[in-house]
Amino acid sequence: MPDLGSAIDFYQTAGSFLIYLLLIAAAALAVCIPLQAKQSGGLTERVAYYLILGILALLAAGSILVIWFHWEIYQHVVLRLPENLAHEINRWLAAANSRSSYTLPLYDPAAPPKYVLPFWLENEKYLFWFLAYAGMALFAWRRLSQPIFRILLQVLLVIQVAVLCLVCNPFQQPLPRFFQEISPWFSPLAPISRFGLFMQLYPKLIFYYNAHYMWTHPPLLFMAYAGLTVFFAGCVAMLRTGEAACETMAYAHAKASYLFLTLGMLLGYPWALQAWGPNWWWDPKVASSLMMWIVFSTYLHARLYLSRKGMWGFVGGLGILCFCAMLFTFTASFFFPGEHTVH
Amino acid sequence: MRRFNYDLILILITVGILFLISLLCIGGMFYFKWAELQSVAPAIKMAFQEQMNSLLAPFLVALLLTLGLCIPKRLFPPRWLYTFIILLGLTGLGSALVWGWRESLFWMLVISAALQAMVLILVVSGRRLKFLCEGYWNRLGSSLVHLGLVLFCLDFFLLSRWDMHLVIFWISAICIFIGMIVTFYAEGMMEWLRRRKNSQEFTDRQ
Repeated sequence: MPDLGSAIDFYQTAGSFLIYLLLIAAAALAVCIPLQAKQSGGLTERVAYYLILGILALLAAGSILVIWFHWEIYQHVVLRLPENLAHEINRWLAAANSRSSYTLPLYDPAAPPKYVLPFWLENEKYLFWFLAYAGMALFAWRRLSQPIFRILLQVLLVIQVAVLCLVCNPFQQPLPRFFQEISPWFSPLAPISRFGLFMQLYPKLIFYYNAHYMWTHPPLLFMAYAGLTVFFAGCVAMLRTGEAACETMAYAHAKASYLFLTLGMLLGYPWALQAWGPNWWWDPKVASSLMMWIVFSTYLHARLYLSRKGMWGFVGGLGILCFCAMLFTFTASFFFPGEHTVH
Repeated sequence: MRRFNYDLILILITVGILFLISLLCIGGMFYFKWAELQSVAPAIKMAFQEQMNSLLAPFLVALLLTLGLCIPKRLFPPRWLYTFIILLGLTGLGSALVWGWRESLFWMLVISAALQAMVLILVVSGRRLKFLCEGYWNRLGSSLVHLGLVLFCLDFFLLSRWDMHLVIFWISAICIFIGMIVTFYAEGMMEWLRRRKNSQEFTDRQ
């Protein structure tokens, strides 16, 4: 990869350092949990608050590192073509565009295609998701001083940091699938092979990596997932304590998450038509997302009758079911085949 | 008390239908995996989509009928609504027998969209309605969200019929987005408007 070697080295080294710090902060936060369970308030709770703040800062620093790395990719990974091949490709693209409703821009030798990668690709999405959660959890922590709710927020944050550091570390091997796709481009190739490879990489660059929808559909969904996690903590706390403040907090996050989720799903629709045509409908990921949205809608409808006898438990249970549906939907990409499949 | 039970029954019916649709979604997922539909010819995949759509259709009809009872329930007398729903159901059934379920569902969606648009116009024009959540902004938001959802379903039906169908999609997306903001944050909006009005009055006095 031309000129990216040193950037990758720095990215991995700085990223690993951040991951170690995150692990230490999460371990310290985990230690605070049993102490808070024994005695709420006081020094332990203050320490826990600053640890959450620290984790948030570290996740933000990781995100800045990701942004810098993507800037390096933008500058150095360019699909440049020799002049004769560019002319041939433009002829082919013009012919293809005349037959399709979604067109690919012609190759411009003065401005060859570059990758404007969003910050939630591959394992980076976990960093964004957990950063959003840490921010929302801190906000919720400050607004509600209910001990069980606060402990749940902490437990969920510790789990997320552990998953990020131990299972899906974005800094260990930066964007493996992306680099696997583009690395042949930078090896010596016969013109016909370069032509073929360009026609493979270019549509994906336009309709996936550089798509405008890439900047709206995934981040909105991850923000919805983050809000849903706080909502889950609120629902568990409301069932455990029976306090109206926990329910109010859960509902506040449910509203925001539902808004993000609906908007994210809606914006996925025109993008799917553009990128995949009509063949994606009833894809397992789409079906599970629909199921999650329906469960969420059910919660919002049922909540209208919260004050009615027996509804407190039902609404709280539905909230927990929403979180389970979210986990099921997210993990569906790993176990069910389809357009969204991870492997 | 009677009104309360009527509202609750409608909500329970909606919840039940939504639950059945979510079961259908899960069933579809597992069938997709079990039948290995990812690697089959596009024609077989299309046949699966068609089959799932036809399975979903009765639930969608049920939702449309419930929506027809639920959203304008404070606008028209119940007797009128029952008559309307029975007529809508019979129209759907009749057109399904003559032209098939797809055509029938399309026309039901058009009629439902017209009904929701009428509700929205009446809310905007300030007719007194008593929805479950009181307040002008809540009523406006609820009408917008439900109109947007019906329009979104309608857009699906126009996918292969009209090249410009995405216009309907964007209208539906805007309706849903604004509707949700207005419904969920009605209180905050009212507070903001009140503060603006007060500060305006204060400035005027000075």
